[in-house]
Amino acid sequence: MLHKRTRRTIALSITAIAVLIAAVATWLIRQRLGHASMATGWTLLASVGLLMLLGLRKKLVMLPILPVRVWTQFHIYTGLFALAIYLMHVPVVIASGFFESTLSLLFLSVAGSGLYGVWISRRGAKRLTAIAGEYRFDRFGWHRRTIADRASEIVTEVGQTGDVPVIAKFYRERLQHYFSTRPSLAYVLVPTSHRKRRLLTELGELDRYFASNVKQAAGRLAALIRNRDDLDYHYATQLRMRMWLAIHIALTVAMLVFIVVHVLMVLRFQGA
Amino acid sequence: MGTTSTVEIRRPQRWDQPFDPDMLERDVQWLSSLPPFSEMDKSAFPANTPLDGVLRNDCRIRKVQPGEVIVREGDYGNSAFLVLAGSVRVVLGQLPPQSLGRATAKQKSWFSAISALWKQPQFPEVRTVDQITPGGSSRVQQHGDTASIFLQDFDGVVTHERTLQIGPGEMFGEVAAMYRAPRTATVVADSHATLVEVRWQGLRLLRRDRVLAQQLEQNYRTNWLMIHLRETPLFRFLPENCLQKVADATLLRSFGRLEWHSDYRRTRKLKPVEQIESEPLVAMEGHLPTDLLLIRSGFARVCSRYGEGHRTLAYLGKGHMFGLREIVHNTYRDSNQAPVTLQESLRAVGFVDTLHIPIEVVAEYVLPYIRRTELPDPISRDDQQARARHDIASQVPTGMLEFIVQERLNNGRQAMVIDLNACTRCDDCVKACATTHDGNPRFTRSGPANDGIQFTQACMHCADPVCMIGCPTGAISRHSETGTVSVHENICIGCGTCAASCPYENIQMRTMRDPKGRMYFDESAGLPIMKATKCDLCQSQPSGPACQNACPHDALVRIDLGNLEDLSDWISRRR
Repeated sequence: MLHKRTRRTIALSITAIAVLIAAVATWLIRQRLGHASMATGWTLLASVGLLMLLGLRKKLVMLPILPVRVWTQFHIYTGLFALAIYLMHVPVVIASGFFESTLSLLFLSVAGSGLYGVWISRRGAKRLTAIAGEYRFDRFGWHRRTIADRASEIVTEVGQTGDVPVIAKFYRERLQHYFSTRPSLAYVLVPTSHRKRRLLTELGELDRYFASNVKQAAGRLAALIRNRDDLDYHYATQLRMRMWLAIHIALTVAMLVFIVVHVLMVLRFQGA
Repeated sequence: MGTTSTVEIRRPQRWDQPFDPDMLERDVQWLSSLPPFSEMDKSAFPANTPLDGVLRNDCRIRKVQPGEVIVREGDYGNSAFLVLAGSVRVVLGQLPPQSLGRATAKQKSWFSAISALWKQPQFPEVRTVDQITPGGSSRVQQHGDTASIFLQDFDGVVTHERTLQIGPGEMFGEVAAMYRAPRTATVVADSHATLVEVRWQGLRLLRRDRVLAQQLEQNYRTNWLMIHLRETPLFRFLPENCLQKVADATLLRSFGRLEWHSDYRRTRKLKPVEQIESEPLVAMEGHLPTDLLLIRSGFARVCSRYGEGHRTLAYLGKGHMFGLREIVHNTYRDSNQAPVTLQESLRAVGFVDTLHIPIEVVAEYVLPYIRRTELPDPISRDDQQARARHDIASQVPTGMLEFIVQERLNNGRQAMVIDLNACTRCDDCVKACATTHDGNPRFTRSGPANDGIQFTQACMHCADPVCMIGCPTGAISRHSETGTVSVHENICIGCGTCAASCPYENIQMRTMRDPKGRMYFDESAGLPIMKATKCDLCQSQPSGPACQNACPHDALVRIDLGNLEDLSDWISRRR
């Protein structure tokens, strides 16, 4: 088995050669005053057909027709090839007119989301591994509740040992909401540690008002704040990785509908 | 309030848990009066483990009926059997798995594999009655308080198969019990027979009787040792007479506890340094080599002193050797050079059985028949630095090596390993598993992780499958060729022994439903029918393991963690 980098180099070289061959063929057709757009169009349609096969293969996991990882690599490099062919096929990157411009935008969106998918798959996986904890997507709600329950227990526990209005007030006003709600859409889109840092700073500022037993409880709450932030980061990253795929597929379906109409129109007006 | 600095409790005693709690004093007296126990030298047994104690605590009397299967070929057992009365029959040929109630997984055609997509049951763990009850030529029958498998057509088996009758005074199953090897034959009760079953701890104590010890060792030497030596690649060109000399000189030794899985959960929590120091020492770094060591079964850790602790350099499993490099160096060194000592220590991980071949025998009967190119290089003066460089270059860091041994993951022959730096947590592996198992995933994507590599909690189809020990009906078995450990649900009685024994918690007990979603209940006890479920490596699927096939990011692999080279290769290709 080849090293990952070697495989990538080989695959990129093959794709580049294929693009070069297509480019030379297009140039030759144009030199002979032929319709290069027909050749590139059919090549593009074939490429889109090949790209669709990955979804089908993923459904048929039980068949010994090469592992999905091979199909994924094939999908990525065919996608790059299709993007190059698209640029040869169209007169301008975004065509004019409602239908053609929508088709252009859909194609570019599918290509863009695909490239984003490649990027997020690689970066997201590494980021998730770098942040403490390993969480399954279906268990995020349970983890959130566990953290919220533990925070509540800490405050209740410390409350039984004496008069602790400062930490109880801070918990009620600042932490309870943080622990009991899901992260916002803004956080999911751009996860930052601002809120965690702010809460930790505020809790730190209250430290001088705490008795020694409350200081310990405050320390445990700080740990839970960090824990919850890590959990939210995992949630946001995993959700984005799942969402891009859903969006990529939805855009692909819409693009296919437009492609079918486009092909029918081309066939109808061919030679006109 | 007064405090005390000690808490007084009774120290657990060796025989707190007898093999058979119902063993009576009169049974012990009766056993003592029968050969070979009556002929044993009682003075050979120390006061704290007397012969009577062994009979009372490590033995149980079993009465079997004609056709009852006592041990099955391929089973893992930790006890030997002595026939007291009646007779049993050893089936020398292979019985068809169906005879033992084991339904073989037939590989599905492409069409039937695809058709499972639209035939997914609406409810979890749906089975037809045929799938969870014995069929063919076997039956499960409650016999006393245990369930046993009976051969339906025992007379036919006796007529058509090559068999060997064993009568009173004869023993069987002792080699499998002593060395954690799979049973090599199926033994069926020939008539109403009485057997005494001795668990391996008792068997080791009984070896204090010289006659029995000699008999057991002779059995091993006759039946197993030459086979094992022949299987060793280094000895492949040895003439038969040299191999016989090697076999004659070989010493058999055992280290650690064979029942390592029972205290594994406790020891895994120890720090690596404490863990290593708690492991029985097989050979010590700095001592002159006296024997070439061959691992017969179990696992051993190769480590060397490093600072105040020990650094793990590798782990060895069945078939691996230790000390060859030093022996070769010392054999071929110049006469003016001093012999080298062992460069590393060898420690038992859980348990390890070793074969010790004295160096004189190695020098005279082994080394002359091996090409110098096949032998390890001589040890140079700056070998330590060279080894350190090698470690740095190795793709399996020391920390991960120690982690793998600490978690006993080196037991896994088909461990599911995920590169967390490539895994997007899409769970396509789990979905694929569910798709190929009628909607019931056989693992969850969780498990211990080290250095960005997760060792997922899916059945690892272990080299030492302790889950198979004690299954009363032999419902969990290992395929002799592929090594896949699978549960035969039609004879699984849902006792949960396998799930409790699995140190990695990779076997789940599940309630079964019919296609309409109704739960199956036992007609006599009124309790739900439970079955053990686990990863079966998709052995009926045309694709093989669906989890590995489905991963789009090349993050998941099923790998033999007993073979360090496989893991090293996989890691090196990713970094």
